[in-house]
Amino acid sequence: MNPKRTMTLNLTDQEMVVLEELSVQKDLSKTALLRQALRMYQLVDARISRGEKLFFEDHEKQKAELMVL
Amino acid sequence: MKETIQIIDNQSGQLVDAEIFDEVALAHFIETQAEWRPVVLEAARALSKSPNQATLIPRHYHWDWTRKEAELKMLALKFYGLSCEERLQGIMKVETVARSCRLPEQQGKPLVYIDYIETAPWNIKQLMVPLGKAQQYRGVGSRLFEAAVLQSVEEDFKGRLGLHSLPGSEGFYIRECGMTPVGRDPHKQNLLWCEFTPEQARRYLAGE
Repeated sequence: MNPKRTMTLNLTDQEMVVLEELSVQKDLSKTALLRQALRMYQLVDARISRGEKLFFEDHEKQKAELMVL
Repeated sequence: MKETIQIIDNQSGQLVDAEIFDEVALAHFIETQAEWRPVVLEAARALSKSPNQATLIPRHYHWDWTRKEAELKMLALKFYGLSCEERLQGIMKVETVARSCRLPEQQGKPLVYIDYIETAPWNIKQLMVPLGKAQQYRGVGSRLFEAAVLQSVEEDFKGRLGLHSLPGSEGFYIRECGMTPVGRDPHKQNLLWCEFTPEQARRYLAGE
Protein backbone atom coordinates (compact mmCIF):
# COMPACT_ATOMS: atom_id res chain seq x y z
CA MET A 1 0.00 0.00 0.00
CA ASN A 2 1.37 3.42 -0.93
CA PRO A 3 1.70 5.98 1.90
CA LYS A 4 -1.01 8.62 2.11
CA ARG A 5 -1.12 12.17 3.39
CA THR A 6 -4.01 13.75 5.25
CA MET A 7 -5.72 17.05 4.46
CA THR A 8 -8.72 18.93 5.81
CA LEU A 9 -11.48 19.67 3.34
CA ASN A 10 -14.09 22.36 3.95
CA LEU A 11 -17.42 21.79 2.21
CA THR A 12 -20.75 23.62 2.29
CA ASP A 13 -23.78 21.78 3.64
CA GLN A 14 -25.03 21.32 0.11
CA GLU A 15 -21.72 19.89 -1.08
CA MET A 16 -21.62 17.55 1.89
CA VAL A 17 -25.15 16.31 1.15
CA VAL A 18 -24.16 15.51 -2.44
CA LEU A 19 -20.97 13.80 -1.26
CA GLU A 20 -22.95 11.68 1.19
CA GLU A 21 -25.60 10.77 -1.39
CA LEU A 22 -23.00 9.74 -3.95
CA SER A 23 -21.06 7.77 -1.33
CA VAL A 24 -24.14 5.70 -0.56
CA GLN A 25 -25.11 5.32 -4.22
CA LYS A 26 -21.62 4.15 -5.25
CA ASP A 27 -20.93 2.17 -2.06
CA LEU A 28 -17.75 4.18 -1.47
CA SER A 29 -16.31 6.08 1.48
CA LYS A 30 -16.24 9.87 1.09
CA THR A 31 -12.46 9.77 0.76
CA ALA A 32 -12.62 7.14 -1.97
CA LEU A 33 -15.26 9.12 -3.83
CA LEU A 34 -13.18 12.31 -3.77
CA ARG A 35 -10.12 10.39 -4.95
CA GLN A 36 -12.23 9.14 -7.85
CA ALA A 37 -13.24 12.71 -8.66
CA LEU A 38 -9.62 13.87 -8.68
CA ARG A 39 -8.55 11.06 -10.96
CA MET A 40 -11.40 11.68 -13.35
CA TYR A 41 -10.63 15.40 -13.42
CA GLN A 42 -6.96 14.78 -14.24
CA LEU A 43 -7.86 12.25 -16.94
CA VAL A 44 -10.41 14.52 -18.63
CA ASP A 45 -8.14 17.57 -18.35
CA ALA A 46 -5.20 15.71 -19.91
CA ARG A 47 -7.29 14.57 -22.88
CA ILE A 48 -8.84 17.98 -23.44
CA SER A 49 -5.37 19.55 -23.24
CA ARG A 50 -4.38 17.24 -26.11
CA GLY A 51 -7.21 18.73 -28.18
CA GLU A 52 -9.76 15.97 -27.62
CA LYS A 53 -13.43 16.72 -26.87
CA LEU A 54 -15.81 15.27 -24.31
CA PHE A 55 -19.38 14.49 -25.36
CA PHE A 56 -22.50 13.18 -23.66
CA GLU A 57 -24.97 11.25 -25.79
CA ASP A 58 -28.66 11.08 -24.86
CA HIS A 59 -31.09 8.24 -25.57
CA GLU A 60 -31.86 9.70 -29.00
CA LYS A 61 -28.15 9.69 -29.90
CA GLN A 62 -27.95 13.48 -29.69
CA LYS A 63 -24.46 14.52 -28.70
CA ALA A 64 -23.66 17.51 -26.48
CA GLU A 65 -20.11 18.65 -25.93
CA LEU A 66 -19.11 19.15 -22.31
CA MET A 67 -16.90 22.13 -21.71
CA VAL A 68 -14.46 21.54 -18.86
CA LEU A 69 -12.66 24.42 -17.16
CA MET B 1 4.95 -0.08 -3.68
CA LYS B 2 7.29 -3.04 -3.99
CA GLU B 3 6.58 -6.38 -2.35
CA THR B 4 8.20 -9.77 -2.36
CA ILE B 5 5.84 -12.50 -3.52
CA GLN B 6 6.37 -16.02 -4.78
CA ILE B 7 5.95 -17.71 -8.13
CA ILE B 8 6.77 -21.26 -9.20
CA ASP B 9 9.93 -22.30 -11.02
CA ASN B 10 8.46 -24.66 -13.61
CA GLN B 11 11.62 -26.78 -13.90
CA SER B 12 12.06 -27.55 -10.20
CA GLY B 13 8.46 -27.03 -9.08
CA GLN B 14 9.83 -24.93 -6.21
CA LEU B 15 8.55 -21.56 -5.06
CA VAL B 16 10.93 -18.71 -5.83
CA ASP B 17 10.92 -15.09 -4.68
CA ALA B 18 9.82 -12.42 -7.11
CA GLU B 19 8.93 -8.75 -6.78
CA ILE B 20 5.68 -7.08 -7.64
CA PHE B 21 5.78 -3.30 -7.98
CA ASP B 22 3.68 -0.38 -9.19
CA GLU B 23 6.49 1.99 -10.12
CA VAL B 24 6.48 0.89 -13.72
CA ALA B 25 8.57 3.07 -16.01
CA LEU B 26 9.22 3.47 -19.71
CA ALA B 27 12.24 1.17 -19.35
CA HIS B 28 9.88 -1.70 -18.49
CA PHE B 29 7.78 -1.02 -21.58
CA ILE B 30 10.94 -1.00 -23.71
CA GLU B 31 11.95 -4.32 -22.12
CA THR B 32 8.67 -5.90 -23.28
CA GLN B 33 9.28 -4.68 -26.81
CA ALA B 34 12.95 -5.65 -26.93
CA GLU B 35 12.82 -9.01 -25.15
CA TRP B 36 9.25 -10.28 -25.21
CA ARG B 37 7.89 -9.27 -28.59
CA PRO B 38 10.49 -11.11 -30.75
CA VAL B 39 9.77 -14.34 -28.84
CA VAL B 40 5.99 -13.87 -29.13
CA LEU B 41 6.30 -13.27 -32.87
CA GLU B 42 8.60 -16.27 -33.33
CA ALA B 43 6.10 -18.49 -31.50
CA ALA B 44 3.18 -17.04 -33.47
CA ARG B 45 5.04 -17.74 -36.72
CA ALA B 46 5.72 -21.33 -35.66
CA LEU B 47 2.10 -21.87 -34.64
CA SER B 48 0.76 -20.40 -37.88
CA LYS B 49 2.61 -23.07 -39.89
CA SER B 50 0.55 -25.81 -38.26
CA PRO B 51 -3.15 -25.56 -39.23
CA ASN B 52 -4.37 -27.38 -36.12
CA GLN B 53 -2.39 -25.05 -33.86
CA ALA B 54 -3.30 -21.77 -35.54
CA THR B 55 -6.00 -21.13 -32.94
CA LEU B 56 -3.27 -21.02 -30.28
CA ILE B 57 -1.67 -17.93 -31.83
CA PRO B 58 -1.77 -15.32 -29.06
CA ARG B 59 -4.19 -12.50 -29.77
CA HIS B 60 -1.84 -10.05 -28.05
CA TYR B 61 1.15 -10.60 -30.36
CA HIS B 62 0.90 -7.01 -31.63
CA TRP B 63 0.68 -5.22 -28.25
CA ASP B 64 3.12 -2.36 -27.81
CA TRP B 65 3.42 -1.15 -24.23
CA THR B 66 5.73 1.75 -25.17
CA ARG B 67 2.67 3.51 -26.62
CA LYS B 68 1.34 3.82 -23.09
CA GLU B 69 4.16 6.04 -21.83
CA ALA B 70 1.91 9.11 -21.48
CA GLU B 71 -0.47 7.09 -19.32
CA LEU B 72 2.15 6.52 -16.62
CA LYS B 73 1.33 9.90 -15.06
CA MET B 74 -2.42 9.37 -14.91
CA LEU B 75 -3.89 8.74 -11.45
CA ALA B 76 -6.80 6.91 -13.08
CA LEU B 77 -4.48 4.31 -14.56
CA LYS B 78 -2.14 2.07 -12.67
CA PHE B 79 0.59 -0.22 -13.91
CA TYR B 80 2.04 -3.22 -12.15
CA GLY B 81 5.17 -5.14 -13.00
CA LEU B 82 6.43 -8.47 -11.75
CA SER B 83 10.13 -9.28 -11.90
CA CYS B 84 12.22 -12.28 -11.00
CA GLU B 85 15.98 -12.63 -11.32
CA GLU B 86 16.04 -9.03 -12.52
CA ARG B 87 13.91 -9.82 -15.57
CA LEU B 88 10.41 -8.57 -16.16
CA GLN B 89 8.07 -11.58 -16.04
CA GLY B 90 4.69 -9.89 -16.32
CA ILE B 91 3.02 -6.51 -16.63
CA MET B 92 -0.52 -5.21 -16.13
CA LYS B 93 -2.50 -2.02 -16.64
CA VAL B 94 -5.63 -1.35 -14.62
CA GLU B 95 -8.15 1.49 -14.70
CA THR B 96 -9.57 2.74 -11.41
CA VAL B 97 -12.02 5.35 -12.73
CA ALA B 98 -15.15 5.44 -14.87
CA ARG B 99 -15.71 1.70 -15.06
CA SER B 100 -18.77 0.17 -13.48
CA CYS B 101 -20.26 -3.21 -12.74
CA ARG B 102 -22.71 -4.93 -15.09
CA LEU B 103 -23.91 -7.80 -12.92
CA PRO B 104 -27.49 -6.97 -11.82
CA GLU B 105 -26.69 -7.26 -8.10
CA GLN B 106 -23.91 -4.66 -8.31
CA GLN B 107 -24.80 -2.71 -11.46
CA GLY B 108 -23.43 0.83 -11.54
CA LYS B 109 -20.98 0.36 -8.69
CA PRO B 110 -17.35 1.20 -9.47
CA LEU B 111 -14.81 -1.52 -10.16
CA VAL B 112 -11.17 -1.92 -11.05
CA TYR B 113 -10.87 -2.77 -14.72
CA ILE B 114 -7.96 -4.87 -15.97
CA ASP B 115 -7.25 -3.28 -19.33
CA TYR B 116 -4.10 -5.23 -20.24
CA ILE B 117 -2.30 -8.08 -18.56
CA GLU B 118 0.59 -9.87 -20.18
CA THR B 119 3.01 -12.56 -19.07
CA ALA B 120 6.49 -12.87 -20.57
CA PRO B 121 6.31 -15.38 -23.44
CA TRP B 122 8.77 -17.79 -21.77
CA ASN B 123 6.15 -18.24 -19.03
CA ILE B 124 3.43 -19.35 -21.46
CA LYS B 125 3.52 -23.07 -22.17
CA GLN B 126 1.54 -22.80 -25.43
CA LEU B 127 4.19 -20.45 -26.82
CA MET B 128 7.22 -22.37 -25.62
CA VAL B 129 6.14 -25.79 -26.94
CA PRO B 130 6.35 -24.83 -30.65
CA LEU B 131 9.78 -23.32 -29.97
CA GLY B 132 10.97 -26.54 -28.34
CA LYS B 133 11.52 -24.86 -24.98
CA ALA B 134 10.16 -25.30 -21.49
CA GLN B 135 7.97 -22.82 -19.65
CA GLN B 136 10.10 -20.93 -17.10
CA TYR B 137 7.75 -19.74 -14.34
CA ARG B 138 4.15 -20.39 -13.36
CA GLY B 139 1.82 -18.15 -11.39
CA VAL B 140 2.85 -14.79 -12.87
CA GLY B 141 -0.62 -13.99 -14.25
CA SER B 142 -2.27 -15.10 -11.01
CA ARG B 143 -0.04 -12.85 -8.90
CA LEU B 144 -0.80 -9.86 -11.13
CA PHE B 145 -4.52 -10.66 -11.03
CA GLU B 146 -4.29 -10.81 -7.25
CA ALA B 147 -2.67 -7.35 -7.24
CA ALA B 148 -5.67 -6.02 -9.18
CA VAL B 149 -8.08 -7.51 -6.63
CA LEU B 150 -6.07 -5.93 -3.80
CA GLN B 151 -6.13 -2.62 -5.67
CA SER B 152 -9.92 -2.87 -5.78
CA VAL B 153 -9.99 -3.38 -2.01
CA GLU B 154 -7.59 -0.44 -1.59
CA GLU B 155 -9.91 1.75 -3.72
CA ASP B 156 -12.84 0.84 -1.44
CA PHE B 157 -14.43 -1.06 -4.36
CA LYS B 158 -14.63 -4.13 -2.06
CA GLY B 159 -12.84 -6.35 -4.57
CA ARG B 160 -15.17 -5.61 -7.47
CA LEU B 161 -13.22 -6.23 -10.66
CA GLY B 162 -13.97 -6.51 -14.37
CA LEU B 163 -12.19 -7.37 -17.58
CA HIS B 164 -12.70 -8.34 -21.19
CA SER B 165 -11.12 -11.74 -21.62
CA LEU B 166 -9.22 -12.75 -24.72
CA PRO B 167 -10.64 -16.05 -26.08
CA GLY B 168 -7.68 -18.10 -24.92
CA SER B 169 -7.91 -16.82 -21.35
CA GLU B 170 -11.62 -17.32 -20.64
CA GLY B 171 -11.05 -20.66 -18.90
CA PHE B 172 -8.41 -19.12 -16.64
CA TYR B 173 -10.65 -16.29 -15.47
CA ILE B 174 -13.80 -18.37 -15.06
CA ARG B 175 -12.48 -21.67 -13.71
CA GLU B 176 -9.23 -20.72 -11.99
CA CYS B 177 -10.10 -17.24 -10.74
CA GLY B 178 -13.82 -17.85 -10.21
CA MET B 179 -15.07 -14.81 -12.15
CA THR B 180 -18.62 -14.63 -13.45
CA PRO B 181 -18.92 -14.57 -17.26
CA VAL B 182 -21.50 -11.81 -17.78
CA GLY B 183 -21.73 -11.79 -21.57
CA ARG B 184 -20.12 -10.89 -24.88
CA ASP B 185 -19.48 -7.19 -25.42
CA PRO B 186 -20.28 -6.07 -28.99
CA HIS B 187 -18.50 -2.78 -28.29
CA LYS B 188 -15.23 -4.59 -27.48
CA GLN B 189 -14.58 -7.08 -30.29
CA ASN B 190 -17.26 -9.34 -28.80
CA LEU B 191 -14.90 -10.31 -26.00
CA LEU B 192 -16.35 -11.94 -22.90
CA TRP B 193 -16.98 -9.50 -20.02
CA CYS B 194 -16.11 -11.17 -16.71
CA GLU B 195 -16.74 -9.74 -13.27
CA PHE B 196 -15.90 -10.29 -9.61
CA THR B 197 -18.33 -9.52 -6.78
CA PRO B 198 -16.95 -8.68 -3.32
CA GLU B 199 -17.75 -12.23 -2.19
CA GLN B 200 -15.92 -13.78 -5.17
CA ALA B 201 -12.95 -11.50 -4.51
CA ARG B 202 -12.91 -12.46 -0.84
CA ARG B 203 -12.93 -16.16 -1.76
CA TYR B 204 -10.12 -15.64 -4.30
CA LEU B 205 -7.91 -13.80 -1.81
CA ALA B 206 -8.61 -16.45 0.83
CA GLY B 207 -7.57 -19.15 -1.63
CA GLU B 208 -10.95 -20.91 -1.31
